[in-house]
Amino acid sequence: MKRPKWKKAEFEEIEYKPLNIKELLVEMKDISELIVDLAYSAVLFNSNEIGEEVRYLEVRMNKLNYQIRMMAMLAVRATDDAEKLAGILQIAEAAENISNAATGIVDLLSVKHSHPILPHLIRESDENLRPIEIYAKSSACDKDIATLNIGSETGVRIIAIRRGKDWIYGPGKTTVLKAGDMIIGRGPDSGLQTLKDFLKGKIEVLE
Amino acid sequence: MSEKEAEEILVELKEKAELMVDLAYSSIIYDNKDIAQEVYELEDLMDALNNRLQKLIFNDVKNDDLEVEEALVILRLGIASESISDAAQEIADVQLRDVELHPILRESLLASHEVFHKAQVDKSSVLVNKTLGKLELASKTGVWVIAIRRKKRWIYGATENTVVREGDILFVRGVREGMEHFMRLTKGEDTQL
Repeated sequence: MKRPKWKKAEFEEIEYKPLNIKELLVEMKDISELIVDLAYSAVLFNSNEIGEEVRYLEVRMNKLNYQIRMMAMLAVRATDDAEKLAGILQIAEAAENISNAATGIVDLLSVKHSHPILPHLIRESDENLRPIEIYAKSSACDKDIATLNIGSETGVRIIAIRRGKDWIYGPGKTTVLKAGDMIIGRGPDSGLQTLKDFLKGKIEVLE
Repeated sequence: MSEKEAEEILVELKEKAELMVDLAYSSIIYDNKDIAQEVYELEDLMDALNNRLQKLIFNDVKNDDLEVEEALVILRLGIASESISDAAQEIADVQLRDVELHPILRESLLASHEVFHKAQVDKSSVLVNKTLGKLELASKTGVWVIAIRRKKRWIYGATENTVVREGDILFVRGVREGMEHFMRLTKGEDTQL
């Protein structure tokens, strides 16, 4: 069996590198949001692959948390700095705790149960998670996410894309959609429906 | 059989935990103690809900109404939401302490993928006197209302039945591209949702 990516990453040595505290914190916050959505998706779609990615992000989060602590210590010159930087570390710790909770959700993949409760749980929420396939006839093909204005026109955030055997997690503005991609969208039901019609080519433009 | 109730509690736990994280980040961005305080109050509610959930589930298992594996899944999901809400409280705690916030905090929260904003609703805005459900604000603009300041009052966790009033200050979260549209709507500069 192939050794999972997260296991490889787990015991890599962390060397001291000068890093920017702000950039570390931005990444930690972004991961803390993505990882919870991915964790629910993993259980909802019974996908070990998405589960693996959650574990990988959790390992990454551990590292970032370690690095931000080192950088914060080096940044202290006076008592005042210490007080303010302690707040930053506390928020970094919170982001790490959120990712731990996400790993807890993914652990449910190993529990065999007859009637899945999660679809119901997600359906009742204000924001839903849904996989949508992109048809070749959709005008979304070969355009990037920003050009299509998916976020502002439908309220849906694309949290992952499955392309062939690969997954793209937390796609950015410049990520290009391709025919045959399967996206996992998070958003209000009405927006998800509009996006589905668009990606299946039933409607020409999003507006 | 209390499965229905258990599911309802789980949904509430999940949504409240997510709202708490949003509120906690907003409290830092806007240096606002009221919002941070609300996170603390919601945390008490989370504890109560989780307690209720656990009792329901144990009873169901005892009466053979629920399989052990299923019970395990429900309990763990409850615990995950609870941990997320604890993390939100940790964030809010930084705001409530009498220490000036480090400028990096606000900067990094604003640089993130999803952004927070606040805007006052002008009397000429199309949003006035309509419910959030009718407006379909989330699907039309990609912006979610997480809290509303109405005169001295706060409304947290607005629903589709919440009516937007003139003068409301809307605290929102959403995609960067949708924010400009949202700001124009609140100012009455744009009437097209």
